Amino acid sequence: MIADIFGNLGMGLSVAITPINLLFLFIGAFVGMIVGLFPGFGPAAGIAILLPLTFGLDPTTAIIMLAGIYYGAMYGGTITSILINTPGESATVASTLDGYPLAQQGRAGPALVMQAIASFVGGTTGVILICALIPTLANLAASFGPSEYFLIILFGLLLLATVMGDNKINGIISALIGFAVGMVGVDVISGSQRFTFGSPELIGGIYFVPVAIGLFGIGELLYCIYIGQHKIELKKLRLSFRSENFWPTRKDYSESKFTFIRGSVIGFIAGLLPGSGGTLGSIMGYSIEKKVAKDPEKFGKGEMRGLVAPECANNAASAGSMVPLLSLGIPGSGSTAVLLGAFMMWGLRPGPMMIVNDPEFVWGLIASMYLGNIVLIFLCIAAIPLFVKFLDIPYRLVIPIIVVLCVVGTYALHSSIIETWMLVAGGLLGFGMKLYGYSPAATVLALVLGGMAENTLLQSLIASDGSLMVFVERPISLFLTCAVAVVLLAPYALKLYRYVTKRNVGLV
Amino acid sequence: MHKLKIITPIATIAALSIAGHATAQQNGDIAYPEETLNWTVAFGPGGGNDLMSRTVVEILNKYDLYGDQDIIVENREGGSGAVGWSFVKNQQGNNYHITSTSGNFIATPLVSNTDWNYADFTPVGLLANDAMFFVVPEDSEFETMEDFVEAAESERLTVGGIGAAGPDRVVAGLLMESADIEFEYVPSQDGGQVVTSLTSGSVDAIVSNPSEVAGQIEAGNFRALGYTEAERSDIYPDVPTFVEQGYDFSFSLPRGVVLPGGVDEEVQEWWIDTMKEVVETSEWKDYLKTNGLSGNTIWGDDFSDYLENTSGQFEKTLKDIGATE
Repeated sequence: MIADIFGNLGMGLSVAITPINLLFLFIGAFVGMIVGLFPGFGPAAGIAILLPLTFGLDPTTAIIMLAGIYYGAMYGGTITSILINTPGESATVASTLDGYPLAQQGRAGPALVMQAIASFVGGTTGVILICALIPTLANLAASFGPSEYFLIILFGLLLLATVMGDNKINGIISALIGFAVGMVGVDVISGSQRFTFGSPELIGGIYFVPVAIGLFGIGELLYCIYIGQHKIELKKLRLSFRSENFWPTRKDYSESKFTFIRGSVIGFIAGLLPGSGGTLGSIMGYSIEKKVAKDPEKFGKGEMRGLVAPECANNAASAGSMVPLLSLGIPGSGSTAVLLGAFMMWGLRPGPMMIVNDPEFVWGLIASMYLGNIVLIFLCIAAIPLFVKFLDIPYRLVIPIIVVLCVVGTYALHSSIIETWMLVAGGLLGFGMKLYGYSPAATVLALVLGGMAENTLLQSLIASDGSLMVFVERPISLFLTCAVAVVLLAPYALKLYRYVTKRNVGLV
Repeated sequence: MHKLKIITPIATIAALSIAGHATAQQNGDIAYPEETLNWTVAFGPGGGNDLMSRTVVEILNKYDLYGDQDIIVENREGGSGAVGWSFVKNQQGNNYHITSTSGNFIATPLVSNTDWNYADFTPVGLLANDAMFFVVPEDSEFETMEDFVEAAESERLTVGGIGAAGPDRVVAGLLMESADIEFEYVPSQDGGQVVTSLTSGSVDAIVSNPSEVAGQIEAGNFRALGYTEAERSDIYPDVPTFVEQGYDFSFSLPRGVVLPGGVDEEVQEWWIDTMKEVVETSEWKDYLKTNGLSGNTIWGDDFSDYLENTSGQFEKTLKDIGATE
């Protein structure tokens, strides 16, 4: 078992370690970090915008570069969370809670170094766990039929709705928009066309990548302009290795040594669940850390552990979310949904068959995630002063560059002007959603998963001759049905429990 | 090597002359090729159609079969081929446009309102056959097609395949008709899903492209019971055809090449002769082997008949399942 893992990983490394691959991994990580630095731009936007840069590369190199972008944007997003209290995406929100107070106390240096180390530990732990799990899961996934797929997607979507945050209704509406867009095209089950209005361009459905670039890229930009981000004078930050307090203290390390482990494991588990990913992981990592701490009152006021926990967790989660993506082809987050689009563009269909048919690719990708983490920790620490300078670039110069990248990139996907218009439409929609507190990530995920859910449900029912028993007769299905029931009923059970205890207290 | 190239440079504006009015008697009398060839792929890069086109173009270039002129391959995707093939159709009479066909060349005009169908093109030839396997898991009780058909008479069996109205569905329909049985067809979105629907035991059998299941068959997990082509595949000689097992139908997808309508007859002849050379190369044989295709070829008007027949099979299935009127 262990020997297998090392054998596989060795094969992966031999695929990943070529000068060209390493170069593009480095470029991907670097560019990803820069994109991650812009407020509102996280891994999903990073991959969506930079996808066209990988055209013309060898598929393995391209995917390795995209993995680099994914990780880079993740790391980069935290820098702004710490320095200017602006998280790149929901997964780094928890990092602002203690990260920004740390920076305000003049401990930006140690905070940035510690977040890099935490990200590294989280990411690496995640990749080690992937290595251990992928072969087993791939075998398991071969016994996943349509009914299991449907339940897993349902579970993921439910989880997505429950972790959506403050406004569940808005989250659900966002997801419904995604479902609606996903309805367009030929219905896989009946073969008839839906909402195509006779247009041959729409027969294949609305491709989600232009929509994602629009929602994440253009929408975010419009919102930034709307709130006047480009007019805000950022106060100039100065950081260099020589400045006092750049490095974390011994105390920082010793206090958070267990935090690293807890955060990583929690994050990874959260990442495995489709639909939750880094957001749930980092929030859980943070709150559990606070719960186990003897001094929870320090959290939120610039406590290093409060930064380390969510950082470990969100990076471990981004590794963890590769597991359902690679073994089942089910993306767990907006970013992995875009990554799935990128894989498919390269003719790779993630799923149990990919590990059987393309082991070199799968293990090469996993190996590149190790390398990505190593590249990034060096890049992160060595280039902190440089990246801090990037924050000084006026937004009004950045905006046109991103618009051009989005438009050219979308057109380059299929040389389709219609998809370019879809990008524009997606951008306007994204702006409106952002403005009124809806979730573009939920829309993209629903757009990807909605069709899958519909097809797998209908396949299950056709195969079972319409009997719902198919969801409880098969062992894995039964387990998943229970999981779905738990997610559905948990809030009510909790309410009931509180009600009952309250009454008991009242009676006594 | 260059025997097909032009000897007498007459008919310089061949592109503008209308077929039938051409004065040249035999092929060899026309000046062809004199211009850059535009090879349209109606799908995106990386798909089966794209791969075949690029393989052919590589061979044409390597053996100098297209003279010293250039060949430009352009991907024009959209609408399951509707966009790309419509573009080529509109090059009526242009000797310097060509395109490759696949299953959608037949299916797309039937399901959507395209301004073209197979009959609007000048046939060159069928270069390869993309036929289907009927596959069961290794531990299945069905050892032959007969076992399956017998069981289907008394119990409700399920058969998976890609798409509701695609080639897999056509094969399922043809089998039901010729064996006079009923089973439930379960459509999946892509090849990976079809394979897992079988590995997970959700369906009893699947219709699948050999390349999708090659790994599983090699690993001893799947067993192919029937092959939909008229003759056995040279790559899987052990798999019997449906015809030899007494089910009288054959079906395959046309991996071929067509020119726009109304091109010179000499140009059509030129391409038939050239493609006959292409399919003899070792590169082409490697391509067939890697992709699990069989190399039975059909040329010229026979290719037209083949397209018409395949289109008929598709149309009937689509009507049967109510996907079209």
